[in-house]
Amino acid sequence: MSSKRPNQLFRNLNAKIASVPMILTAMVVFFGGTIWTIVYSFTNSKLLPREKWVGFDQYERLWNTNRWLISIENLLIYGILSMVFSLVIGFVLAALLDQKIRFENTFRSIMLYPYALSFIVTGLVWQWLLNPDLGIPKVVRALGWESFDFDPLYNADIVIYGILIAGLWQGTGLIMCLMLAGMRGIDEDIWKASRVDGIPAWKTYIFIVIPMMRPVFITTLVIIASGLVRVYDLVVAQTGGGPGIASEVPAKYVYDMMFLGQNLGQGFAASTMMLITVAIILIPWAYLEFGGKRRG
Amino acid sequence: MARRVPTSRKWLVTIAAWAIGFLIFFPILWTILTSFKTEAEAIASPPSFLFFDWTLDSYREVQSRSNYFLHFYNSVIISLGSTLLGLVIAIPAAWSMAFVPAKRTKDVLMWMLSTKMLPPVGVLIPIYLLFRDFGLLDSRFGLVIVLTLINLPIIVWMLFTYFREIPGEILEAARMDGATLWAEIVHVLTPMAVPGIASTLLLNVILAWNEAFWTLNLTAAKAAPLTAFIASYSSPEGLFYAKLSAASTMAIAPILILGWFSQKQLVRGLTFGAVK
Repeated sequence: MSSKRPNQLFRNLNAKIASVPMILTAMVVFFGGTIWTIVYSFTNSKLLPREKWVGFDQYERLWNTNRWLISIENLLIYGILSMVFSLVIGFVLAALLDQKIRFENTFRSIMLYPYALSFIVTGLVWQWLLNPDLGIPKVVRALGWESFDFDPLYNADIVIYGILIAGLWQGTGLIMCLMLAGMRGIDEDIWKASRVDGIPAWKTYIFIVIPMMRPVFITTLVIIASGLVRVYDLVVAQTGGGPGIASEVPAKYVYDMMFLGQNLGQGFAASTMMLITVAIILIPWAYLEFGGKRRG
Repeated sequence: MARRVPTSRKWLVTIAAWAIGFLIFFPILWTILTSFKTEAEAIASPPSFLFFDWTLDSYREVQSRSNYFLHFYNSVIISLGSTLLGLVIAIPAAWSMAFVPAKRTKDVLMWMLSTKMLPPVGVLIPIYLLFRDFGLLDSRFGLVIVLTLINLPIIVWMLFTYFREIPGEILEAARMDGATLWAEIVHVLTPMAVPGIASTLLLNVILAWNEAFWTLNLTAAKAAPLTAFIASYSSPEGLFYAKLSAASTMAIAPILILGWFSQKQLVRGLTFGAVK
């Protein structure tokens, strides 16, 4: 459509100049910073970056470190489960809300409130709610379920689920709102047609509504995935990585190596691994979504 | 367009939904309530819900130990400053992407958004060193810059989705009447996009307000915003829940109030413009 405009060259020039500040800043920070990090991951920098090259030594050490392996495992568990639960709970809540309940707007705002809070607050509040002597576990026991022993924050085996609960609390409302928007975008005639054909509502949801909501699902997946990056804040506030090292996540490993362990090289290697992982996931997805079939 | 739903079922669903809503809201409510308790009542068992001696002691205590208003001021400056600076950079960029799309516009947008998925620790050290060399550590100005950079992709993306809905013919008409590019963007496009810009503004103020990673790592005391203020109450005083609640309440209250009075923009903003 732009080709029909007058002064094509001039307009495009303006357009390019207009986006220069944005592209420049993004380039300098992300591209520059990332390359710098990757380059220095091949050095044995300690307290300060220095150019003493050691090849892949840092990576070898990294993958031989138990704490790093635990971090990776935790992030995997958290990532997969938060994706599954966010989508399922978000969808069910949206379907519930799609019945046009009363005071819907207020309800929606309340559901979004947790998302508007800092992860630091979320972490602290849930640290307290899951405290075995004060919070929900105690209340459940007081109500008569004596053997209830879901004390995630003090049990190394399940601590990651305690973090997952807080993460879900924070993010599900947003997913619900996005899903609801997607549902509202679906033509009412489809509902009428499926009712005329006598298809039960749940079948309509699964076989007709969900496939039609594909773009919404992609948006939500992107949002959930970008939330994984922020799990660092939550872990720091809620468990500090404990008990022991049971709830460490990769970002925290990097951070501790850099600032507490004074082992910059190791931190750079770990963050390079994270960058590579993100790239491995993003590139095929971006290619499938935008490269293969160029949609206008 | 409403689908017919029997009234009795509608009420049932409404009640179920509100029960869930209450459950979701409960942790926030509980924090607020606890902030008005004494330390002893905060950990009392069974916990009292509403019938306790309401007291402002925790607030007084928190204020006497750390300067809430300084951190509040820092948060306001940092979140507003970074959002406004971001808008100044993003409006021209979004304008060019929405109205003068090039072949690669979509790719640039995607690439830009994908940077939001990169772990920020990856660039922490370079930025930390730059900040140290330029003397920007623990300064509001430095944080404004960093948060602008961090949230810029989202600002551009949101403005782009709003701008796309504005018919290009209007801008075309302004151009025909001899409007310069500056006038076109400032006097024609921006006023029309006010609702979209408002949602973008709100979302980014909230994101910047809540930002913890950069603010915790790049500030010490002078420029520390409210996130650092709460974090300081978590570690050394882990067991003083009333004070912790008071600090948390003070930190989240501005967002809750702001959100309540601008629900429409909040929903629009937080859902990246997907919900209108």
